[in-house]
Amino acid sequence: MSESKRRKEKRRLTPGEVVVMAVLSVLVLAVSFPVLYALLNSFRSYAEITKDPMGLPTGLSFENYARLFQTTDYGEALVNTLVITVGTLVLLIAIVPMAAWGIERIGGRSSRWIYLLFIAGLMIPFQVRMIPLVSSMNQIGLYSTLTSVILVHLGGAASFGILLYCSFIKGVPREVEEAAEVDGAGRLRTFWSIVFPMLLPVTSAFVIIQALSLWNDFFIPLVFLDSSSAGTINVALSRMVGLLTSQWELIYTGAILAIVPSVILFAAFQRYFIKGMSIGAVKG
Amino acid sequence: MTAQLAERPAAVSGGRAPARARRFTRHRAVMLLFIAPALIVYVLMVIAPSVQSIQLSLTNWDGINPAYDYVGLANYRDILTSDRFWNATRNTLILGLGSAVIVNAIALGVALLLDKLHHAQGFFRTIVYLPALVSGFIAATIWKYMLNFNFGAVNTILRDLGFDDAAMDWLGDNEIVVGVLLFIICFTLGGNTALIYLANLQSVPQDLVEAAKIDGASRGQVFRYVTWPMLAGAVTVNMTLMMIAGWTIFDQVMVLTAGGPGFVSETMAFFIYKVGFGEYRAGYGSAAAIVLFIVVMATTVLANRYMRSREVQA
Repeated sequence: MSESKRRKEKRRLTPGEVVVMAVLSVLVLAVSFPVLYALLNSFRSYAEITKDPMGLPTGLSFENYARLFQTTDYGEALVNTLVITVGTLVLLIAIVPMAAWGIERIGGRSSRWIYLLFIAGLMIPFQVRMIPLVSSMNQIGLYSTLTSVILVHLGGAASFGILLYCSFIKGVPREVEEAAEVDGAGRLRTFWSIVFPMLLPVTSAFVIIQALSLWNDFFIPLVFLDSSSAGTINVALSRMVGLLTSQWELIYTGAILAIVPSVILFAAFQRYFIKGMSIGAVKG
Repeated sequence: MTAQLAERPAAVSGGRAPARARRFTRHRAVMLLFIAPALIVYVLMVIAPSVQSIQLSLTNWDGINPAYDYVGLANYRDILTSDRFWNATRNTLILGLGSAVIVNAIALGVALLLDKLHHAQGFFRTIVYLPALVSGFIAATIWKYMLNFNFGAVNTILRDLGFDDAAMDWLGDNEIVVGVLLFIICFTLGGNTALIYLANLQSVPQDLVEAAKIDGASRGQVFRYVTWPMLAGAVTVNMTLMMIAGWTIFDQVMVLTAGGPGFVSETMAFFIYKVGFGEYRAGYGSAAAIVLFIVVMATTVLANRYMRSREVQA
């Protein structure tokens, strides 16, 4: 809002602004240096990298990209990461908004207590539940399966989801739901066809925030996936760091490929991203 | 508010008292069914294992053998008298709290710069956010190779510039390794945080700023007495979130040093992981995890209390 107001003032480009733009550009370039460096080196061979670490690629060769998929588990790890990210997201959306609505509508003291129980999870670091979870997953035979990773993620993300959805649902008018119920719609149908669509802004924010953090997570898959699984992208990369000490070019290539989906997601949903990031924080 | 919620369904049904009561409990039963799936997963995946951790922390369990003995508070005593644990705590403070302060300062600076722009602000907002798409894990992986002693980019640049003595074994030197980790963690523009600050800056009423300027306030004074107090809410949230995340810093340490050389660069999260899984001391590791939980809880409560009190003052 304030942005459009400022634009209306039609100011000239001042020297001060040019300086600010230059400073920001330099800062962005500096911070992006590691990624740019990895990108350039993903087109070079190991011999080239070690002979002249600061050299530029001689051509646009995708040999490293092909070799990454042919000689390592990277492809399988990519699929695993996708299954974990999408699986967790779908399940989160299936259970969390419904639960938040239930908490807000159940009323009375139970509403408050259940809410607080969920919120307490924000203060429980993953390390606290990690050791018992590994042994339980072992007992029920889920250890080193993608299911175990998804389940552990679900529990961890539930607290934040309930916080986000509950604060949003407080502002959703009750009258529409009541009208639907008078018309004879069951509660489940009322929720999915009337309430859920109204939660779209918070759902898009939640999905984007979670998608990024699930895709980028390293600790949980590291703990729950042993060498019988190809792991996630990050786990596969960390294993490669240990094993392929003489194949830097593949590590750089893998790192670049791991970033690509986040960039695509960002490019596609840029508007929601920036809104979503502030939804949670400005309110708190 | 809650009382109102509870009464409403009853009021709608009207009629005789028994019908009202039946309707009321039915409403709650249905709502409980809505909550149940999330609640069950949450209790099984978060609450139950956390409670079990407390029990395990009182045992000498190795993590594999089904048999173990209760040893009382021995694990806690061992942890609190262990130099290795206190070293990990110190590193966590340096890396977690240090990076929270530094990254927030960087993000605020970037937000102030963005706020100065009247042209192409959207474009610059986007490119400032872009580096935030790279996870800490990936950044650390790339840095690990850039910091290689022989063929890394950093030492190569230093040697090319003629500073051969400045080329160091960045991750293998006891004296500097924690500082190097802090640098890598803080090597960011704080994308999310910067955008949150920007959103808050833009909601500072311009009338207030103008009024202060007319009253003769300098730029510094405007920031100190008008802008800064208006940002207090955002600072509270960002600092609290980052400090909580800071207590569990793990990825960068695991990738870059694996706690080494020796135990020099371990953090609390890494210590728990290493002890629990690498050294087969699950009971001991659980006790360390409970200590971490207490610290995180205390930080959350204290940070909130302190910053809220300041917010009210402002």
